Amino acid sequence: MEPGAGVGSPVNADARQERLAALLARTALGDRAAFAELYSAMRSQLFAVSLRIVREHGLAEEVLQDSFVNIWSHAGAYAQAKSAPATWMTAIVRNRSLDIVRRTREEPDVDDQLSANLVDESATPARDVERRAEAHSLNECMQELEPEQRQSIALAFHHGLSHSELAQHLHRPLGTVKTHIRRGLLRLRDCLMRLEGTHT
Amino acid sequence: MRKLSRDLAHALAAEYVVGTLRGRARARFEAIARDDREVASIVRAWEDAMTPLAERVAPVEPPARVWRRIESRIAPASAPRAGFWTSVRLWQSAAAGLALMLIVTLATFAPRGGRDAEPMMVAVLSASDAAPRAVVSLYAPDVMRVRIVKPWGNMDNQSLELWAIPHQGAPRSLGLLANAADRETLMKMPMGSLRDVKMLAVTMEPMGGSPTKQPTASPVCSGPIAAMRRT
Repeated sequence: MEPGAGVGSPVNADARQERLAALLARTALGDRAAFAELYSAMRSQLFAVSLRIVREHGLAEEVLQDSFVNIWSHAGAYAQAKSAPATWMTAIVRNRSLDIVRRTREEPDVDDQLSANLVDESATPARDVERRAEAHSLNECMQELEPEQRQSIALAFHHGLSHSELAQHLHRPLGTVKTHIRRGLLRLRDCLMRLEGTHT
Repeated sequence: MRKLSRDLAHALAAEYVVGTLRGRARARFEAIARDDREVASIVRAWEDAMTPLAERVAPVEPPARVWRRIESRIAPASAPRAGFWTSVRLWQSAAAGLALMLIVTLATFAPRGGRDAEPMMVAVLSASDAAPRAVVSLYAPDVMRVRIVKPWGNMDNQSLELWAIPHQGAPRSLGLLANAADRETLMKMPMGSLRDVKMLAVTMEPMGGSPTKQPTASPVCSGPIAAMRRT
């Protein structure tokens, strides 16, 4: 678990994101120098994120490679993503890591209750969790969770543990772990929306 | 149309982002998010909310071979598009000679529209075969004139968009151009907006201009800006 470590000064963080966004825009145009700079700026952070999930240097290298090839060819799509550039790239790396984990540590873990539950419903647009929720809101909300909820979510998020791996690791029944995650995420969502409400 | 309920979409998106949604369920949900913009925006909301956690992980330096492999996988030979910047730079030298010729021609014809015979700035934008396609000039500090030398033929549902390419940072759109040889597009420019700009380029964008506010294609022509007198 990462305790609420200091968050960099907002001004520097914004400048960094702006720089990354400009590099991404140039990458979208095929600017190799910008792409190389983007890689230099993000490689060690993204390698660490992947390494925690895939747990093998070789696999994490593969993830980083695939992800940056992907970023190179889809950088143009970033402008539509509307997320912070680092977030966008981290999400790509996390998804690729989880894909590879799925391939190498394959296990059927279909949560049927959730996944098979397609319902008919006319869309009723409601408020979303604020897209750029601040890191400190997240920390605040993580602290509001039950310790077991927080621990399960953090283990899954950082280390790519599946429900059954979590159950094994925490010596808990599978159902209990699933409930912890699901309820924890629900509380997290409520908390983030509530904080968003107070900020606006 | 079958849709996920909003609460279910949130529950699935959260587990997708945290990583506990696995296997077929993950693949299915990914497919839904690709087609359903509302679901996609919920996924994005969760990514934006959760990713700061990942950004605090202590960095680990990857070996240098990773970058070498990335570079070899995006090598120009296998890349589907010509690099925008590579092509921009290549054309630059070829265009320089022609630009001079055109500037002379321009100077001859310019008084027709301008208050001054000599423009403040001229850019000749040429295609990859060095043929000039557009001439851009600035006679007043805030009015830019763009003339297409030779219009493009295959423009099905596309617009020509002019970009300012600054020395550093992202390209900026200057607006759309009329694809006709006999039309001059006049563009109102904020004063000084070309100060940091070294090059201009034109891309073919979807009708109405790039939806992303950034070029989505390689340029059809480009060229360096030549300052004729101080603004």
